[in-house]
Amino acid sequence: MRFARLTAACLALTLALATATAAAASADRPRVVVDAPDFHPLPIAVASFLAGGDARAAAEVAGVVRADLARCGLFEVLDPRSFLADPGEGLAAASIKFSRWADVGADGLVKARVSKGPGGFSADLRILDVRAGREVLALTLPATEARDLGHRIADEVVRHYTGEPGIFRTRIAAIRRTRDGRELVVFDADGQNARVLLSEKALLLMPAWHPRGGELLVTSYRSGIPELWRYRFSDKSFRRVNTGHASMGGSWSPDGSRIAFTAIDGNGTDVWTCNPDGRGARRLTTSSALDLSPSWSPDGKKLVFVSDRAGTPQLYVMNADGSQQRRITFQGSYNQTPQWSPRGDLIAFTARDERRVFDVFTISVDGGRIQRLTQDQGRTNEEPSWAPNGRMLAFTSDRSGTPQLLVADPGGDRQTVIASGAELMTPAWGPFPAD
Amino acid sequence: MTGLAHSALVRRDRLWPAVVASVAVHTVLGVLAIQRRGPVFDSAQQPIVARLVRLGEARPKEYLPRKEPEPPPADTGPETAPVTSPEPAAPEPGPGPSARPVPTTRATPGPSTARTGGTRGERRLSNLISGMKQELAAGSPDGDPLGDSGEAVGDQYLARVVRALRRNYRVPSTIGEKERLYLRGTIVLFIEPDGRVLRHEFVKRSGNPVFDEALERAVLDTRLPPPPEDAREAYRRRGLQVDFKI
Repeated sequence: MRFARLTAACLALTLALATATAAAASADRPRVVVDAPDFHPLPIAVASFLAGGDARAAAEVAGVVRADLARCGLFEVLDPRSFLADPGEGLAAASIKFSRWADVGADGLVKARVSKGPGGFSADLRILDVRAGREVLALTLPATEARDLGHRIADEVVRHYTGEPGIFRTRIAAIRRTRDGRELVVFDADGQNARVLLSEKALLLMPAWHPRGGELLVTSYRSGIPELWRYRFSDKSFRRVNTGHASMGGSWSPDGSRIAFTAIDGNGTDVWTCNPDGRGARRLTTSSALDLSPSWSPDGKKLVFVSDRAGTPQLYVMNADGSQQRRITFQGSYNQTPQWSPRGDLIAFTARDERRVFDVFTISVDGGRIQRLTQDQGRTNEEPSWAPNGRMLAFTSDRSGTPQLLVADPGGDRQTVIASGAELMTPAWGPFPAD
Repeated sequence: MTGLAHSALVRRDRLWPAVVASVAVHTVLGVLAIQRRGPVFDSAQQPIVARLVRLGEARPKEYLPRKEPEPPPADTGPETAPVTSPEPAAPEPGPGPSARPVPTTRATPGPSTARTGGTRGERRLSNLISGMKQELAAGSPDGDPLGDSGEAVGDQYLARVVRALRRNYRVPSTIGEKERLYLRGTIVLFIEPDGRVLRHEFVKRSGNPVFDEALERAVLDTRLPPPPEDAREAYRRRGLQVDFKI
């Protein structure tokens, strides 16, 4: 017993001494802080996909994946011409020579086998960590079309690396000017696969997506005055929302229960909300100035809008019931078309600068810090709309003459024209697909 | 022998104690000078290049911000070799008959790029004008865009370590903004006398494997400067604690 106590005491003393020594060494150790890292896109290689029957489809799918990943700004997609690995290399980690992928600078590796079946296509997808030399994701994805399969794969890659859903299967609505009038057009997120939903001789403006993606709210002059109309995808119906006023610029609340809009009546131009059928209209702003262009915060508790009550159009924020209205922009003399980011931290808007050109900016909701996205790229870059993950923006630009549709990341980098030709305006990026 | 010469000789005889004392003092001084160590020059030491920057008028606060132009490519000369006083530059020759404009490149659909064509004289004029424009464009009169006064008072070796690590401190953009707010990691580096990292230990991981891997890569990819002679043993045995944050 005595011996055991002695041993325990010795052990405790040794432990205490070791701890004290380690603590002393740690305390004596010089220490530095390294901050401000360089954020860089993750170098990723998308290998040529193996074909299970249709080599052309496999190549098309790989091309879509590369283009999607390159456009989103998160990845540096390596040029396939630089690859050193055997093109016939298999999917399993054991069959892959990772050193060859490391030699071309890849951190991540995307491989897939694309098969064509009676119901469409499927991909056996693998994502591999090149440095660790192991597989980190394996799953099978089905799709009816090759392009859709490519978008699905790209979405999975984004989900793997960020933990967030990708946006490559979302859609972007826009108004296209035609010789006879206007069209309501919907594009895939990469600008492909344009579908005309409506073709009108009357003015069409400002489409806005229902949060679940089944409907679009559009401002139409079909009846001679601006009014809100709802286009439903399921039955292609187009119905007027009777708000009781000339109305424009509708915006769905995040839960789809209310619509915020600008109403023009004898009392002026103000921000109102109503039920989706137009009933229960409620006026939120009462100033004699112009109050317009409302956009909901992602939690549905606030609205950002434009008002010229201070003499020039500026951005204001208020509660969803109209209380606590406060100005948030104090720079620039013409700020308009605000759109609240789905992440809630930023509001994108169009502003005219001192050279009287329009550019796209963001302002942080907390600190009011303004960041410029476009500059010296044509005379008008405007009407930003957020991707549902808040990591990209769509906007229009006349940098090449006719206004075209572009996407960029929130810093303004990787600006990519995704649709051009006829004049495009007021883009609206849709929500995540339901499936 | 004249009386004048005689008196001079007499005076010279009286000077010998002073001459002996002078020789002794100079000898002592010479010995001291030889024994004393001269200034130590560290060949790896990077020269501190000071540049005076006169900034233009402050941009009016009511103006919207402008994107700053890309900084010119870093001049590697001062990083690797001491700066020597340059010879006066010879006047540039005028545009010769063989001078041809460089083909203009235009990035599509990226930001509009500056025109690169023109003769050398035109380019110089263009640079001068653009420099003047830039000077007038923006800035704070009391700003210090390039300075880092903290380094002057800190440990110079540690400052060089931080600079070396920061060059390789690259984090993938795939890490979300919210997560960036709290990501921290601490690594202890055990440094060999020649600057190689003998081994490293994670004292605290961030919990995000991608971020931790980026830290590890920064450590492995960085060649640190050799520690000061009097601290080499300490850096080798006790190590240097590096706190990484965003």
